[in-house]
Amino acid sequence: MNGSSLLQEIAKNLINALVQGDKEAAVGAAQYALDQGVPPLTLVQEVIVPTLTEVGKRFEELEIFLPELMASGEAGNACTALLEQEILNSGNQVQSEGTVVIGTAKGDIHDIGKNIVISLLKAHGYKVIDLGKDVPAARFIDEAENSRADVIATSALMSITRAGCREVADLLHDRKLMDKYHFIVGGGSITQDYADEIGADGFSETGSGAVELVKSLLQNMRGA
Amino acid sequence: MFTNDRLLEIFQRSRRGQYMKEVEYDLLLARRTQELVKEFNITFDSNLVCPADNDMADRVFQAGLQLFVDVGAYHLDTQRVIKFSQAEVLDALRQAPDTLYLGEGRDMVIARHRNIEDPTPPLNLTGPAGQPCSEEHYLELMISYAQEPYVHAIESGATLTYHGADIMAGTLMEVKAVQRDAATAREAIRRVGKPGMHIGDAATGMTAIGKMAASEPTRLLRPCDGRLVAQMCELKTNDDQLVRIPHLLNYGSHIINLMTPLTGGIGGGPAGVAVVSVAETLLGVVCYFATYHYLSITHIKWTNNSDPWGMYVLAMTGQAMARNAHIVWTDDPFCVNGAGTVENLYEVAGHAIIGSVCGYQQHGVGSTGGNMVDHHTGLEAGWQGEVGIAATRSGVTREQANEIALKLLPLYKDTFNNPKLGQPFHELYNPQTITPNMPWQDCYRRAKETLTKLGLTFTHGPYD
Repeated sequence: MNGSSLLQEIAKNLINALVQGDKEAAVGAAQYALDQGVPPLTLVQEVIVPTLTEVGKRFEELEIFLPELMASGEAGNACTALLEQEILNSGNQVQSEGTVVIGTAKGDIHDIGKNIVISLLKAHGYKVIDLGKDVPAARFIDEAENSRADVIATSALMSITRAGCREVADLLHDRKLMDKYHFIVGGGSITQDYADEIGADGFSETGSGAVELVKSLLQNMRGA
Repeated sequence: MFTNDRLLEIFQRSRRGQYMKEVEYDLLLARRTQELVKEFNITFDSNLVCPADNDMADRVFQAGLQLFVDVGAYHLDTQRVIKFSQAEVLDALRQAPDTLYLGEGRDMVIARHRNIEDPTPPLNLTGPAGQPCSEEHYLELMISYAQEPYVHAIESGATLTYHGADIMAGTLMEVKAVQRDAATAREAIRRVGKPGMHIGDAATGMTAIGKMAASEPTRLLRPCDGRLVAQMCELKTNDDQLVRIPHLLNYGSHIINLMTPLTGGIGGGPAGVAVVSVAETLLGVVCYFATYHYLSITHIKWTNNSDPWGMYVLAMTGQAMARNAHIVWTDDPFCVNGAGTVENLYEVAGHAIIGSVCGYQQHGVGSTGGNMVDHHTGLEAGWQGEVGIAATRSGVTREQANEIALKLLPLYKDTFNNPKLGQPFHELYNPQTITPNMPWQDCYRRAKETLTKLGLTFTHGPYD
């Protein structure tokens, strides 16, 4: 077996494990790839990111259900953790596309949509700091400051909790941090009009849309 | 078995049960559900959204019971699993009420357990069903529901502001808004001459503090009214939900177990979600002491339940519980289209027909997937009640319900990805007379003509 076909074989096994959501098999395949000398970054960029992106698309097209997406995401996270450790062990820095601090607004305990966005962001190479559910406004900002994040993302499913998004926007404004972070919002109760009203930098209705939004905001920042 | 104080036992189990990360619980629930779907041979066919299969209905119940016994309820605050034995679940189910008295005085209605193809028409316990509402038109909006002849109870919507300022959950603003909205609901039923009508909830309240703030027997919610206690997707609870139970029990109030199972979510496809829905009903029986149950099936992408998945879950869960329990429960149609569109009325009708022949009392209606402020009115809620009665009086069977629902589906299914949002309440109704405008009434008449051609027999309705 030559180098190219070996890589193809390894990639095939890893892809299958990720698609099946088989964490153990995925980590095993990733470890085998490392043992064979495949660079960790190659695995991330050429296998894990495109595979999880495809899984995300299939979910949005209703071809698969949430458990399959979650299982693939978990398998992907386990592989990424292994590969990041390998990069650190080799004395290099782990490169991420950017850091996103995310959580549901104060009072909102519905996080399935937020978790889908997290899976997709991670699949695209972003570092995600998940603050969980029912997060006070100040905590979003404190965590963004501590982690030097690029984006703060707040979601609200219930109309009665969307005011928590405005609180984050107001606090960013009052602390004069609006230009430091990109503030984006989403969730069932949020509309583009509401996002505009509270001065958010972006809004998305879907998980893949949220990834595109983050990508475009960070590209604009880097291009500026 | 439980000690004499079931609530105390639940609390203790929520502190001593198995620790598990939430994602691990979700994946366990997903895996076990799919195993049970296979084991009990529960099948979905998109051409059979309302199966007439008693044996499968019983299997759905058995699978749901097994699922609940196997995975229990997940407590989000403690990250522990609260488990119950099968004997405990069945014992609690036996103790659950089969007959309820909703409201008071001459406006009281009696809600009983309904069977499959039950000849007794369903009640219509409706209202904005937690949808977003503006405070400007709230009283008129609530009157539009309460005045409908085929409406037997109202449930409040979720207003977004208090004196123009955003309402924030868990703050004094939530309490003030809940109290205002409960008082508004009471004023609405007083104005239409139905002062004893049951009020199902104060939906502006998101937290226990908000919900409990509505307990005041003169101007706000009375013991003959109710409050929702919700489950998070799927089979999850927390202290904020559980703390409401002793309060509502002591107040003598109706407790409504709100379930929002996601089709395409953790339960997977429709067969799995039917199993999960049974398990969630049992959670409401055991943990929430529910007097009645409220199944609000939600599509993971469109947040409706008028699609074939939603209709199947409605049909199979309803039949499973109708045949294997004696509880009272309700369902709500959630539509992608908004008030002011005939498609909205077709979505409501398909759901109402299946619900009425599969053992439910009615709840609802949700329009625009519950997203647009004020895009809902009393007309479509009354229409749901009228269709439910017509289906029952016409003797619609499950086979016929399936046929009618599948004939209605092409009339609106193309709107799933591009919904017709319709218009807000104040554009569809004359705010002085609280009467729907002619185009909205025309939609009602058009929908009624279609349903009549499909075999339903209506009596005279409010907009004929």
